[in-house]
Amino acid sequence: MPVSAETKYGPSVTTNTVEFPYRRSLGPVVGGFVAALARGQITGVRSTGVRGGGRVLCPPLEYDPDTGAATDGELVDVGPEGTVRSWTWVAAPDARHPLDRPFAFALIQLDGADTAMVHAVDAGGEDALRAGLRVTARFRAQPKGRTDDLAYFVPEGTETTDPDVVDAAAAAAGAAAAGVSTEPVQTMEFWSSLTYKEAVSPATARYARSMLAGTLLGQKCPTCAKVFVPPRDFCSIDGIRLDEGHDLALPDRGVITNFTIVTPVPYPGQKETEPFVRVSVLLDDVEALMGLQPVVDIPNEEVRVGMRVEAVWLPESERNAEEFGNRGWGSTTGAISGWRATGEPDLPVERYIDRVF
Amino acid sequence: MSGEPCAIIGVGQTHHKSKRLDVSLAGLLREAASRALTDAGLDWPDIDAVVLGTAPDAFEGVMMPELYLADALGAAGKPIMRVHTAGSVGGSTGIVAAHLIHARRHRRVLAVAFEKQSEGNAQWGLAGGKSGGMGAGGIFAPWIRSYIRRSGAPEHIGWQVAVKDRLNALKNPYAHLKIADISVEKVRESFMLWDPLHFLESCPSSDGACAVVLTDEAGGRDAAARGNPPAWVAATAMRSEPTSFPGRDPVRPQAGVDCAHDLYRAAGITNPLAEIDVAELYVPFSWYEPMWLEGHDITGPGDGWKLVESGETEIGGSFPVNPSGGVLSSNPIGASGMLRFAEAALQVRGRAGEHQVDGARTALGHAYGGGAQYFAMWIVRSTLG
Repeated sequence: MPVSAETKYGPSVTTNTVEFPYRRSLGPVVGGFVAALARGQITGVRSTGVRGGGRVLCPPLEYDPDTGAATDGELVDVGPEGTVRSWTWVAAPDARHPLDRPFAFALIQLDGADTAMVHAVDAGGEDALRAGLRVTARFRAQPKGRTDDLAYFVPEGTETTDPDVVDAAAAAAGAAAAGVSTEPVQTMEFWSSLTYKEAVSPATARYARSMLAGTLLGQKCPTCAKVFVPPRDFCSIDGIRLDEGHDLALPDRGVITNFTIVTPVPYPGQKETEPFVRVSVLLDDVEALMGLQPVVDIPNEEVRVGMRVEAVWLPESERNAEEFGNRGWGSTTGAISGWRATGEPDLPVERYIDRVF
Repeated sequence: MSGEPCAIIGVGQTHHKSKRLDVSLAGLLREAASRALTDAGLDWPDIDAVVLGTAPDAFEGVMMPELYLADALGAAGKPIMRVHTAGSVGGSTGIVAAHLIHARRHRRVLAVAFEKQSEGNAQWGLAGGKSGGMGAGGIFAPWIRSYIRRSGAPEHIGWQVAVKDRLNALKNPYAHLKIADISVEKVRESFMLWDPLHFLESCPSSDGACAVVLTDEAGGRDAAARGNPPAWVAATAMRSEPTSFPGRDPVRPQAGVDCAHDLYRAAGITNPLAEIDVAELYVPFSWYEPMWLEGHDITGPGDGWKLVESGETEIGGSFPVNPSGGVLSSNPIGASGMLRFAEAALQVRGRAGEHQVDGARTALGHAYGGGAQYFAMWIVRSTLG
């Protein structure tokens, strides 16, 4: 968290971004729909059942959305022309929108289909939109086997100047020339990026300030006398509010009460490649426990319950509070690089091994 | 049990695999739900309400999947709700569905739980997208070390559970892991994933779904008359506690103790070890079998591992645990709890096939989640009252 952003008017705010390349299994029906898009062909599927059976659903589904009954799974050609049934104008598109210029999201009923699909219409201006407008599809000139190979729609008769898209006939010719597979597309990558802002609680802000100054900070409940690290401004045991007056400076020496050696698995954003240790440290003099702490200069095989350790603080100029969020379990990252052995004799295992939380 | 009696008349599950790339997310759920409906002798229009359960949205990257999946589950125009209690969610979902029947709010409820782990990465999700994720096993490993020390259990207990559940999985056509040559030596020699847990003492990552159809007393009796024996819900219980607080005992969480005692009391059970015929416990890491046997007071403290060591938790033993192969053999996270609940129902219906426990009349379905902080349990019986 950017501590410098804190003002006397309120807590500071952290900005977090999480990103992941999800993989979508498309299934037999949508997979076939996507495969056909590469050939400039839009498809639907016929519903079955006594209620609403025989309708052509586009986009196609494995099921009739009204009844849950399975569709027959046979894709039928629809479009590429269709009719706008309803629409809304997006005047200021952002990076997440399908077009970088003002456009409409519209319900488009393709010719030959009984249902409408939501898609983008590149209409030039809002004035061009109306219910009943005839539109036609534009496809990616270089299809990728994704649902967005169907790029957007334009009003019928529009000349397209966008070099990245083609009409249905050109897409079909291009696919034939390139020998594009007609097999259903099995999976599609879905890049997800989420950025959110979070107001940092006063307790976390005090913890961050203290850590940047080189002091571990906890909070002691006056009722149960338990010490929480970091401060929470409440006691989850007694259900009462705590405040700054209950804050407690903590010693930075203690004993390892338990540990995990994690064999890292690879995932996007994972930087660990070798087995690493996380320890629980019970601090001296106070009954305060720090969980999930890294160690410094202790080989994995030497980490043990009862080992005496002390915090290794980063030089003051290198400390930062980026990892101190509201939901931390006592993260020390950015202020303490880890815990190293003091060389003192071990303490008895039996006294400490159950002190994990 | 209170209110309207609740009968489970349909159970369905997918074939669980590490990657079900052949089906969409909707298709995966429909595979399980269709099987449950067929088992119940019902069709989509017969269902009054749907309850959906799944683990954190970050696992598949579909926010509020209950919205997108409502149509796929035939819920257009019907009530649908989503339940979320971390890894215990499959169990909680079954309990919420049962409560809708007990409360006489609905007559036929479809409960579905799922996870399609291959769409994302659970360790990434649990790490909030950051490096150095601990994985669930990384959180549980110190507690397991603490249990081992506290109970005096020999290290082969964990290996023994890992072998038992994988042998049971060979009898379950839906199980993910099929390790025909599983042995104590093989488990012991598998690499150390989260010390003291070896790779083969840990659950797999699975794609899968599970569904159950629940109905009222009249529906249950009607099913029985059609030759479909129901499982009757005798009791349900849920409890939770914070992940961490000073003085917490994560090896024997108080929420788990309270949940179990509440359950036994509601089911009129005074000696769970003697009165329960078979248990499906949520055991994602081998040591959790003895830990929950003791943590839920099925045995006395220090006696859980002895029950394991004596072979009494195998099929044919006095207290079979996880005849289906359990979470150690199939782990579609959000569905794993419901699979425990559903397998318990299959046992008392006499429908568990090759992994049927002879004469099972009272069964325990159990799930836990988060940092061993959410608990969901039910007792099902072959007879009502």
